[in-house]
Amino acid sequence: MRKTFIRFFTIADYEEEEAWLREQHQSGWRLVGLTPPCFYVFEACEPQDVVYRLDFKNAKPSGEYLQLARDFGWEYFMSSMGWLFFRKPTDAAMEPDEDELFSDNASRADMAASIVRTRLVPIAIIFLCCVLPNLFNAVSGRLGAFGWIFTRLFGAIFLIDVYLIVHCGIKLKRIRDRYRW
Amino acid sequence: MDDKIRRIYVPMTESGFYILFCLQTPQHGYGVSRQVKELTGGAVVIGAGTMYGTLSKMEADGLICFYREEEKRKLYQLTELGREVLAAEIGRIERLYKNSKGERCDA
Repeated sequence: MRKTFIRFFTIADYEEEEAWLREQHQSGWRLVGLTPPCFYVFEACEPQDVVYRLDFKNAKPSGEYLQLARDFGWEYFMSSMGWLFFRKPTDAAMEPDEDELFSDNASRADMAASIVRTRLVPIAIIFLCCVLPNLFNAVSGRLGAFGWIFTRLFGAIFLIDVYLIVHCGIKLKRIRDRYRW
Repeated sequence: MDDKIRRIYVPMTESGFYILFCLQTPQHGYGVSRQVKELTGGAVVIGAGTMYGTLSKMEADGLICFYREEEKRKLYQLTELGREVLAAEIGRIERLYKNSKGERCDA
């Protein structure tokens, strides 16, 4: 049996996403697929405590990394938009820290910084380049009689983009600062 | 050792130090993590993501190099530069240790 959940996580919400996926598995639903931006496909399974971890690589994972992760007991089961999804069942023998992909603060801060550098900044530039000229055209009345519709449409897209970009920027900076002194 | 390498690696993170230290003998990432756990009595645990990230970065910076492949696992070993960086870091730690015991260090 399968079900699809609609849930939106920004690129700065991966820790919440990990926790949510773990809760799903605890209640008998394991993740089998994700259609961006927000459709999570789950399959019914035995309820189990399974830790989920995400790594952002912005590229196809190398065979070397996947082998290394396997050696550490991680199951790599999918990737989506540059994110690699790993999971590992918890058990009594598991030592502290073994449920983490990143074991020190420097590498946690590096991951947040790499999301900003290779995803957030390019997205911000592309969106602003696409949306701003359209917004200006609409506002200046160059789009004819129905210009006001476009003004509102592009205005709304612009506001949502700015909100998301600022939200992600601030949150990723907070994550980075939490792990850096 | 140029200034850039010195700035990044001296001092280095605890995981970085142990990875470099263990790669004096060629081995793969998982082998390093087990050796570190054993050496430190479990006090230092290195995760898969941290291990892979550190190995990639050290290889790109020329501190370690590919040694050979064994059952899909990549084995690494220290380069000359890696030895130099490790020696500098050990010297720094020795100074810290001596000073913490109230001893003075000359140069």
